[in-house]
Amino acid sequence: MTTKTPPKFAVLQLSGCAGCEVSLLNASEWVEQFDLVYMPLVVSAYDVPEVDVLLISGGVRSDEDLHNLRRAVKCAKKVVAVGTCALSGGVANLGNRDEVRELFISQTQRRHLPRLLPKSQPVDDFVEVSLYLPGCPPTPELFMAALLEPPDFSASMNVCQECGRRKLKDMKPEHLTGFLRGEVLPEICLINQGYLCVGSSTRGGCRALCTRPGHPCVGCRGPSDALIEKDSQAWLTSIERVFDAMTEIPQDELREALVSPQLALFLFQFADYAGKGKPQRPKEKVL
Amino acid sequence: MATLTFPLSRIEGHARVEIEVREGKVISTRFQAMEKRGFNLMVHGVPAEQIPVIVPRICGVCSTAHHVASVKALEDAYGVQPPALASELREVLLLGQIIQNQATSLFVFTMPDMLGVDSLFHVSVEEADKTIQFNIAKRALKLRQLGTDLISLAGGQFIHPVKAVVGGMSSGIDATRADEFRRRLLEALPAACELVEFYWDITMRMKERIGSWGDDQPAFYITSTERDTPRYNSHIIRVMTPAGECCREFSAGEFRNFLTFEETDYSYAGRTSYEGEVMRANSLARANMTRTIGTKLAGDFLRRLRAEFGHPAHPILLFDLCRGIELVYAIERGAALLEAPLDRDDPHLPYTPRDGEGWGLVEAPRGPLIHHYVIENGVIALGEFIIPTVHNMLAIERALRVAAERYITADSVNLELERAVGRVVRAFDPCIACATH
Repeated sequence: MTTKTPPKFAVLQLSGCAGCEVSLLNASEWVEQFDLVYMPLVVSAYDVPEVDVLLISGGVRSDEDLHNLRRAVKCAKKVVAVGTCALSGGVANLGNRDEVRELFISQTQRRHLPRLLPKSQPVDDFVEVSLYLPGCPPTPELFMAALLEPPDFSASMNVCQECGRRKLKDMKPEHLTGFLRGEVLPEICLINQGYLCVGSSTRGGCRALCTRPGHPCVGCRGPSDALIEKDSQAWLTSIERVFDAMTEIPQDELREALVSPQLALFLFQFADYAGKGKPQRPKEKVL
Repeated sequence: MATLTFPLSRIEGHARVEIEVREGKVISTRFQAMEKRGFNLMVHGVPAEQIPVIVPRICGVCSTAHHVASVKALEDAYGVQPPALASELREVLLLGQIIQNQATSLFVFTMPDMLGVDSLFHVSVEEADKTIQFNIAKRALKLRQLGTDLISLAGGQFIHPVKAVVGGMSSGIDATRADEFRRRLLEALPAACELVEFYWDITMRMKERIGSWGDDQPAFYITSTERDTPRYNSHIIRVMTPAGECCREFSAGEFRNFLTFEETDYSYAGRTSYEGEVMRANSLARANMTRTIGTKLAGDFLRRLRAEFGHPAHPILLFDLCRGIELVYAIERGAALLEAPLDRDDPHLPYTPRDGEGWGLVEAPRGPLIHHYVIENGVIALGEFIIPTVHNMLAIERALRVAAERYITADSVNLELERAVGRVVRAFDPCIACATH
């Protein structure tokens, strides 16, 4: 009888919230199929050994993050960036605003601790990534798909497809309802109800976890396949078109809410989706 | 002088312990938080109503507590009182968090110490006893998933919930789903009790092996759950003296009158003290500071704890047993709450946003969590997070000193110290992502 050794995998956690790790623990099917050799949250091991798959969560925030990242990728055959922080900043993006950095840098540095870098940066600013798994956090199903890469798996095009709330032709709000204010009618599209929901252009695969119970999509999985290889303007335009068709909300009001003051749309995205300096990530590398 | 450095694993976030030794004498024991993201600054200028989506990302383990605390702080600022149904739903949500967290801490973080392995997942099929461990791993993971599923049921998203909104909850739980989940909880209850029994047993064996309960000196305790039975959707912070007297009660907004908060130069996390004294938060504080626990099976465990270890009990290894008791409590209490109709009326009240200041308090798994915001022109002008783990910082360092003095002599360092450092820190289940935010 031949016994096949299960593939080894490791999880490197940079600066983040460990929500990705918690989600991975929910995907408990891997327990039988993989050998988890490194994940400081749950395993006592202090170095990444040779592994088949390395999952990296969190953003690169300190010199220690960077050091650990560079060391770890050398030991891995396949490198997967998981979670919105590792890909595009997540909420850490809010800390990359200059007015915040001015305070942060002056108040935060300590002498005997890892030095904080000027900004939080995505993993692929420093190392090559074979697969991207966006989401805040990615669901357990998405984690299993990233580990097993079943050939027939594909995330749905956008959140709307999984949400299933009905879009009504004759319910056209004239103004935004506010991010969280007012009643939410069940089964009716949140845009019809005036909510700033960006699910129409956000990558699916999350099972519409937020919009189903009535919370507008904040775009944590980033742009859908149709938009991911284009710059952020295309993303913005696509959302504007949807609101234009479905609502009477003035374009100025919508644009202001989307891109300022604190970038409701890009709350979970780094400026790298704004097409500055870096090539866009090819859609076949994004789960 | 020598400095011993111990990296830490099986805790939430990046931290290490440094022990300074001179000629066999322990000079200092330091618990260092090694990461920093700066949420207190990141929220500057953010529209207040977006806060309940942003701040759960402080921590993926305690996200629910941050979600609810932030909503309560905004409600305080806007002067809105959520309906009673919303408070019940929030309690269900926070119970989900307790199940998830206590199961993770007990089985994933600390049980490997008791069993002498590196992780719950280190399975070798050749060894029969490891198979038992494997079964424990599967059951433990199922239990903690029950917690995240309860968070999904009450909070929408499974890790960063979305259903607590200013004015209440965006929707209730319908009878069918409530009943289905109640059954799941009741089905899981025997397994939870068995695991807690098992945990009790391996704790006693561990005590036999190492010959110590760890730091068992008296301390002050702090919690925000109620006097009679635990309630995590809390309102008032209480402090108990080492002798077991409740000596202070204050609201979140008054905390500076009673607690001293300070930063240190060796850690990205601050620390608090009560009148300069060491205090402890988390499960042991709650177990010491509740009159009864109010459910049957957890009540039995609590009586047993008090019979065996006294009241208040001080040994740090008891934090874990208290987590076990709370795990059982949260399952029983969750099942009881899901019996009442949780969609009987609208769980949400209309409100008008306004500028001002607000404080929000919940009892997170690690103790009282305070969110504080000042809102100007609809955006956050000041954000402040008082994290439960910082209440335990001095207690962690004191317990580390007890361990260091036990294992360090003028001639040598007993290598058991390395394991002891891990055990001490994990007893307090610190959350570094939260503590540094």
